[in-house]
Amino acid sequence: MANLGKQYQDGEVIVRQDDTGNCMFVIQKGEVEAVIETDGRKLRLRKMGANEFFGEMALFEKETRTCTIRAIGPTHVLTIDKKNFLKGIHEDPSLAFRIVKTMSHRIRDLTDRLAKYEEDRP
Amino acid sequence: MPDLSPTLQDGSRIAVIGGGPAGSMFSYFLLNMADAVALDVSVDMFEPRRFCHRGPAGCNHCGGVVSESLVQRLATEGIILPEDVVQRGIESYTLHMDVGDVEIATPLMEKRIAAIYRGNGPRHSEPLDTESFDGFLLQKAQEKGANVIRRLVTDMSREGERMRVRCADEFCDDYDLVVLATGVNSRLMEVLEDQAQEFTRPERTKTFICEFRIGRDVIKKHFGPSMHVFLLDIPRLEFAALIPKGDYVTLCLLGDDIDDDLMRQFFDSPEVANCFPGGIIPSHVCHCFPRINIKAAQPAYGERVVMIGDSGATRLFKDGIGAAYRTAKAAAKTAVFHGIDADSFKTHYAPLCRKIHNDNKMGKVVFGFGSLVQKARFARRGVLRMTANEQKQVSAPRRMSGVLWDLFSGSASYTDVFLRTLHPVYIGSLLWNLMVSNLPGNAATKNPVAGVECDRAKH
Amino acid sequence: MPNTKARTTTPVEQSFWTYAQQMEKLPPCQAQCPNSGDARGWLGIIAQHEKIGLTLEQAYDKAWEKLTELNPLPATIGRICPHPCEDLCTRRDKDGPVSINAMERFLGDWGISRSLSLPVADLGKHTESVGVIGSGPASLSFAYQMARRGYRVTIYERHELPGGMLRQAIPDYRLPREVLDAEIQRLFDMDVQLVRDMDIGADIEIDELRKRHTLIFLGLGAQAGRDIGIPGEKGPGVIPGIEYLRQRKQGRESQTGTRVAVIGGGNTAIDAARTARREGAQVTLLYRRSQVEMPAAIREVEDALKEGVQMTFLVAPTRIIREGTSVRAIEIQEMRLGEPDDQGRCRPVPVPDQFRRLNVDTVIVAVSQAPDWHGMEPIRDGHKWLHTEEDGKLEDSIWAGGDDRGPGIASQAIAQGRLAAEAAHAELRGIPHPKQNLQRRAVVKDSVKTDFYAERQRVCSPRRAQEDWLCNPHLEIDQTIGSDQAELEAARCMSCGLCFDCQQCFMYCNAGGFTRIEESQSGKFFVLALDACEGCGKCIEVCPCSYLELRDSD
Repeated sequence: MANLGKQYQDGEVIVRQDDTGNCMFVIQKGEVEAVIETDGRKLRLRKMGANEFFGEMALFEKETRTCTIRAIGPTHVLTIDKKNFLKGIHEDPSLAFRIVKTMSHRIRDLTDRLAKYEEDRP
Repeated sequence: MPDLSPTLQDGSRIAVIGGGPAGSMFSYFLLNMADAVALDVSVDMFEPRRFCHRGPAGCNHCGGVVSESLVQRLATEGIILPEDVVQRGIESYTLHMDVGDVEIATPLMEKRIAAIYRGNGPRHSEPLDTESFDGFLLQKAQEKGANVIRRLVTDMSREGERMRVRCADEFCDDYDLVVLATGVNSRLMEVLEDQAQEFTRPERTKTFICEFRIGRDVIKKHFGPSMHVFLLDIPRLEFAALIPKGDYVTLCLLGDDIDDDLMRQFFDSPEVANCFPGGIIPSHVCHCFPRINIKAAQPAYGERVVMIGDSGATRLFKDGIGAAYRTAKAAAKTAVFHGIDADSFKTHYAPLCRKIHNDNKMGKVVFGFGSLVQKARFARRGVLRMTANEQKQVSAPRRMSGVLWDLFSGSASYTDVFLRTLHPVYIGSLLWNLMVSNLPGNAATKNPVAGVECDRAKH
Repeated sequence: MPNTKARTTTPVEQSFWTYAQQMEKLPPCQAQCPNSGDARGWLGIIAQHEKIGLTLEQAYDKAWEKLTELNPLPATIGRICPHPCEDLCTRRDKDGPVSINAMERFLGDWGISRSLSLPVADLGKHTESVGVIGSGPASLSFAYQMARRGYRVTIYERHELPGGMLRQAIPDYRLPREVLDAEIQRLFDMDVQLVRDMDIGADIEIDELRKRHTLIFLGLGAQAGRDIGIPGEKGPGVIPGIEYLRQRKQGRESQTGTRVAVIGGGNTAIDAARTARREGAQVTLLYRRSQVEMPAAIREVEDALKEGVQMTFLVAPTRIIREGTSVRAIEIQEMRLGEPDDQGRCRPVPVPDQFRRLNVDTVIVAVSQAPDWHGMEPIRDGHKWLHTEEDGKLEDSIWAGGDDRGPGIASQAIAQGRLAAEAAHAELRGIPHPKQNLQRRAVVKDSVKTDFYAERQRVCSPRRAQEDWLCNPHLEIDQTIGSDQAELEAARCMSCGLCFDCQQCFMYCNAGGFTRIEESQSGKFFVLALDACEGCGKCIEVCPCSYLELRDSD
C-alpha cells in the first residue's frame, strides 16, 4: 500500500557526519548503515533495520552528527522533529524509556568493542 | 485472589471493554509497563467484532487520519504502521474555496500523515492487501499478552469491591479494574448513565462519512497524496475533507449535527464537484452517520473504573486517535504506578482530561473564526492570498499555512494555534492580505492556484 | 427517514442507502420438514428461557406445547423420523447439526412423564361430526386437529389396537408400545371416540358413514404388500414384509425359518431383516440397486449391518425354488445400473446369463405397498393412489391423507392430516383458507454468520452397547438425552432468520434506533424505529442470524 516517511535509494546519505541536525529518524522499511569517516578511513559502527532509530543524540544536545548514515537498498525513513519529541516527553516522560534503553545498549556494545580493541593493540 | 487494595497486584485482573485504538493501546502500554516493573496482571479485552470485515460491521467510523504528531509518537514508542495499514501517505492539504484553491505542503517533503482504514475498507471493496488499523493495534495488544474475548458487554455492576462485567450471552466475570473504551456510538455508555447517578456520558453530535470508489490510478492523478479540505459557506458545517486512500476516497463532514439537508448542500457545491474527475460526484458505496464526542464524560473515571478514548475525553473534531493514545497511556500509567481507585484517577488521570477539555474550549474559538471565514467572502480571499504567497516562498515563515495545517491535521493543540493567531506579524500580514485581495482589480478574478497542478503529477 | 420519492436528483440520491428492516424468515429446518415443524421456535423457548422469565421446566412445558400444535406424537416421531431437518441445519458445516430429532424425542418423553395435555385451539364446540377411517399417523393427526378445534370426532379402526403402521409394523426396538400407547391415549383424552374392530365394507358401508358424519377422512395407509410376480412365490414360506412384521408384533407363533431372504430396500425391508435377526435367523437382504440408492434411512441400514444382516446389492429374484410346499432356495439374477428414470433413479437392468442361487427357507417380500381398497369401492377412481387436491380434499366432504396418497414418512402423513383438517375447518366455518407459513421468505443459504457462534460440542442420543442389541432384542437401542443435555443442545440452535437477543443491533446502531420490547417473547426482543434508520447498513451486517435485512423498496 504505502509507506510513511521519505524514501532513500541505495547508498543515499540520510545524515552526514559533522552536519548540524535537530531531528531523530525512525526506519520504517529497509536497512541503513552507520559509518564514521576519519582521515579517509571508514569505520562501520552498525547496521540498523526496521523500527530502529538513529540521530537521537541531536534531540538532547546541540552537537554535530557523530556519523554518516547511509541507506542500504531502498529505504523509508520517518523524521521525528525535536519540538514534537520534547513536547511529548514533557507530557509523558515514559516516551523516552525506549530511547534510553537503546542508548544504554549501544553504550554497552561500544564499551565491549573498545575493551577488545585495547586488548588487541600491540 | 489478591487483597482488595486500590492498587494493581500480582494476579489482578483488568477488563478492557472495546477493542478499538483506545482499548488496544491501553492494553499494550499497561502490559508493557507492568512487565517493566515485574507486575503480573492479566488483561481481558472484550471485542465481539472482527476488524477484518469490510463495511460498517468491522469499522469504527472515522475519517481515518493518523496525525503527524501521532505518527511520530507511535514511531518513538516502537509502533511502526506497516505498509498494508497505511492506505496512503499524506504530504499536503489542498484547501478549496469558492475564491480559489491552494495546496499547503509540509516543508520536509516527506509523508508523515497516514490515511488508514479503521475497518478493512468499505463495503464491497476487494480483499486486496489492505489491513485494518484497528486490527493492527489489536494484534499488537494480543502480542503483548492481552486476551481478546469475542463477547458483547451489555452491562456492568459493582459486586462488593470488584466490578462485574455482564455479556449478551449471560456470561459474567469479575475484575479489579474496568476500562471503558467503547466509544460514543455504543449503547453501553447510555446504559451506564442510567445506572450511575454521578456519571454523565459524553455529549455527542452527528457527523457524516462516506466512501467513493474511484480507483487507485485516477486517485493518484486527480487527488495526489493530498487531503482536500473545503471551507464553504454552509451553516453548521465546520469541517469537510476528502481523504484519498487506495482505491477509495473518504469524505468526512464534521459540524453541528450533520443531516441530510446539510449533506445535500455540500454535494451541490461546485467546489466539491470540481474536485472529482469530470466534475461529477459518483455514487458512494458505503456511508454512516457516526456520533462524535464533543464534551467529555463527567467524570471520566470512578472507583476501579476509567473511561478512555471517545468514552472519556477527546479532542474536538480532530486527532481523535491521538487523544485516544494519550488518554490510554495516561490511564495505564495511573493504574500501574499510582492506583486504581477514584482518587488515583482523579489525581493522575483527570488532569489530562481537563487539559484536553480546556484546549477544546480554545478549539471552539478557533473554529469560530473559521466559521467567520466561511461566511465572509472577503475573508476567504485574504486567507487564500496569504497562504498562496507563503507556499510560493520556500524559506519564509509559514504563519497562515502553519495555522491551517495544524488545524486540519490536529497536529498541534488548539491553544497553540490560537496563540499563533495572536502574533502581531500574523495579524499584520493577514490584514494586509485582506486588503490587497479585495481590491477591485484582484477581487474580480479567481486568485491563481498555487502550485497545485504541476506538483501533483510528481507524486 | 421516510423513503419518499419527492427529492432532488443530486448524485447522492442514487447512492447506495441500506435501510434496514426486521423480517422473520423461514429457516432451513422448517423448510425441509414435511410437517413444517418449527424447531427454531420450540428450541428458542428453551435456549432463551431466562430472558423471557421462565424456569427450565416451564420452558420445556411451553416448548412441548408449541411442538404439539403441529405434531401430537413427538415421542414417536422423535424415535422413527429420519430427520431431514438436520440435513440442512445451518450448523451442520460448523460443528454438526443441531440434534433436533433427539430434542423432539426428549420433549416427547417429557410430555409423557409430566402427563401434559395436548393444547386446545378453540374452546368452543361445533355441531358438525367428523368420521375418520384408520388410526395411523395421518388419521390421528387429522382427528387431533379437528378435535382441538371443537369438533366431535369418531375414529373407525379395523384392528383391535389403534396406531396404523406405527402399531402394526414398526418393531419394538424402534418404538416401544408404552410410548405409542401413551401418546395415542392422550389424543383420545380429547374426547375422540374410538370404534375398534370395525371393518369398513364388512361391518359398515362407507355410504352409511357419509350419512352419519358431516365429513369423513380416509387414512387407509398402504397396508397391502405387493407380490413381485415370480414363479414359486405363492405358497407357505413366502410372506409380505408388512404381514411378517404385524405377526411378530402381535406375538403370534413364529413360522420363520433359519435362513431368511428379504427382498427390498426400504424401511419395511430393513425392519423385517432386523426382526428376523432377532429371531436368530441368518438373514440376507437382496436389493436390485446399490446401497447408496436404498430408500431406507441410512442409520437403519448401518444398524442392520452391525447386527449381522448380510446385504447383496444389484440382484433381483427370478424364481423361488420349492421342494414340495417348502421353500428351498431363491434364484437371483445380477443387475447393473442403467439409464436414470424420470425421477433420476438409475433403472436396474438385468445382466444376461448371470444367475445365482441362495439356499433359504423363508422369503420376506418387502418391495412395495398399496392401500387395501376393500370396502372403498364407492369412492375408488382407478388410480394406484388417492388423487386429492393439494390440501387433501378428495371430493365433497371426503378428505384423505397419508400413505393412501402415496408412500412417505410418518411426518408427511401427519402433515397431510393436519393440512386437511385446517382446510376442512376453514370450509365448514366459511373462513378464508389458512395460508401455509411457507409464504415467508426463506433464509438465504450462507447468509447466517456462523463464526459469530462459539463452537459447542453436539449432544447425541446415547446408544446401548452394540453387543447387547440382539441379546435384548425388544429393548430400544437409542436412549433419550437428559435434561441438562437438552438445555445445552437447545443453545446450539442458531435461530436462523429470527432474533435471539444477541443485542448487537441494539448496541451498535449509531442512531440508537432499536428499543427493547418490555415484555419480551421468544424471538421478539427489539423493535426498530424505521424513521430513525440512517441507512448505513451496520445492523444488517452485524446481525448473525439474518433476521435484519435490506428494506424492501417502495
